[in-house]
Amino acid sequence: MDRACFKIRVMVLCATLLLCCLAAAANAEDELNCVLCHKHRGLSRIDENGNFRLFYINEALFEEGPHVRVKCVDCHRDISKIPHDPATKVDCTAECHLTEPSGQKKFSHKPVSDLLARSVHGKVDADGNAKKNEQDYPGCKDCHEEPLYRPLSFFKGKSFGVSERGISRCRTCHRTGKFAESFYKHVTSRLQKMRKPEEIVGICAKCHGDRDFQQRHKLDDVVTSYKETFHWKAIRFGSEETPDCMDCHVVKGESVHFIEGKDSPTAASNKRNVAATCRTSECHAKAGEGLAGFQVHVTYDREKYPLQHYMLKFFTALLAGVMYFFLTLIILELLRRLFPNFAFRKSPVDDHRSPD
Amino acid sequence: MTKYPRIVERNGKRYFFRFSLHQRLQHVVLFSTVILLSFTGFPLKYHNQPWAEPIYNFFGGINAAPTIHRIAGSALLALFVYHTIYWMYLFYTRRVLRLKKEGRLTLANIGREFLAQEMVPNKKDFFDLIDLFKYLLYFTNRPPRYDRMSWKEKFDYYAPYWGIPILGPAGFILWWRDEFSHVLPGIAMNAMYIMHTDEALLAALFLFFVHWYNVHYSPEKFPLGTVFITGYLTEADMIHEHYAEYVRTMTEEGLQAEIRPPHPWGLETNDA
Repeated sequence: MDRACFKIRVMVLCATLLLCCLAAAANAEDELNCVLCHKHRGLSRIDENGNFRLFYINEALFEEGPHVRVKCVDCHRDISKIPHDPATKVDCTAECHLTEPSGQKKFSHKPVSDLLARSVHGKVDADGNAKKNEQDYPGCKDCHEEPLYRPLSFFKGKSFGVSERGISRCRTCHRTGKFAESFYKHVTSRLQKMRKPEEIVGICAKCHGDRDFQQRHKLDDVVTSYKETFHWKAIRFGSEETPDCMDCHVVKGESVHFIEGKDSPTAASNKRNVAATCRTSECHAKAGEGLAGFQVHVTYDREKYPLQHYMLKFFTALLAGVMYFFLTLIILELLRRLFPNFAFRKSPVDDHRSPD
Repeated sequence: MTKYPRIVERNGKRYFFRFSLHQRLQHVVLFSTVILLSFTGFPLKYHNQPWAEPIYNFFGGINAAPTIHRIAGSALLALFVYHTIYWMYLFYTRRVLRLKKEGRLTLANIGREFLAQEMVPNKKDFFDLIDLFKYLLYFTNRPPRYDRMSWKEKFDYYAPYWGIPILGPAGFILWWRDEFSHVLPGIAMNAMYIMHTDEALLAALFLFFVHWYNVHYSPEKFPLGTVFITGYLTEADMIHEHYAEYVRTMTEEGLQAEIRPPHPWGLETNDA
């Protein structure tokens, strides 16, 4: 090997090492410098099931989410060397290296998972037996992708985003790293819904809007019926004030992961609790008990919703009757204009000065 | 009350009186509120259509359009009440008081006078309809000779007159749902919702296709019938649409010699 070639190789190696160090410095939680590879948009493969898997990590987006302070290996525990073998699935209930501040314990999503298991979405029934069509019941990642914060500003009126004037007050004392910003986002994102109502309806619709799923579980098409209500239509046009699925199906003060079926006496959608669900302070606070009788998920089925079924039939018949009659009349009139004197019988010449 | 001449002559053409300024103003309130209500209502009904969002956003989106809808709805409901008082006032001053003056004020006479009002459907309307079908289906070349209000115009009149009492209160109850839920069961709101939205569709389709065809789109009117602005109808239109009234008015105004013969549709236009 000649000297010049050796020199070039050393320089390339040094430059690569320097780049690695710089990249590592960009995200202190990325100890193994995972983004060195995962920052490439095309990083993907076809897995053993033939599914396309994309392993690209958008750092800018990742930094907007609650996991920015968690080390990659806290979740991807089986990775200890680079390059690594195919990683096992992440277990959200595992303890990570963060300490939960109120109890000074290792943080874990296990309490959430326990709530989910007890809810209508749990995979096992009250006796501990697996439910029929167990594969249809959701795990964490069926509803959650990598989450993003949705910070709010209340400085001089409510608006979305981080208030620079607000966070400057935190930064006066909390100067190290991104603590102040992360804490600000953590808190203010939870003062509203972490996800837009439209997104939440979309998540529920992934299963509840699927015809085969509805048939397997003998459920109505609750997504279509919900989308006929003003609740959804307002959301569709950008409002966040009308309720999405969570607002009516989660008992106020309870975790969103603990949704119960309407037969449970403590469910938000149980007949006895619907009035309370509708009359929360943010919604129909002044409403009477009667509002609970409003049927949100109307399918126009004759057995289940006879009033709506027959009303719809009546108005459809009225509409069809009136419109067919008049549109036929218009077409006949237009045709008649083309051939004004073609009657089968000629009328006798009449006195045109007579009104009749 | 302003007295309108029954026939006005301008540039050698005759124009026949149909609607007073007062009536035309009521019509302005009616059509402008209905158009506003349609623009701020149908994007909600058809929220999945690509046109829904741009139209709704033009009217201020979810933060403003519902308010516009409610204001326009209230105005239309107020117009309904006003118009009801208006025709009742006319009925009283023009018919009941006359009966009183003539000493014939009995319940039967009031009933007869009620039925004789120009917007109330009568026997002639029924026969006109039969005559129209005879004409349209080529049994005769003689179209019906309508009087002051044809059955079509009466239908046009009763469409909103039945539509508003269905749509209006239903919309009002949905607007004040929390308050009404103290006296009404929740399922009543479901019924109101269907009434409001489906009757609105019927009203809009009827108005924008059938009514607008009758007054704007039909060949002799296109692109715009002007009677709703001027209050007067051209002679050609009178002959087309109200031949019986035309003959009567011309006779009563002493113009019997100048009465023109009826002409089948398509032979003459407004320029004739």
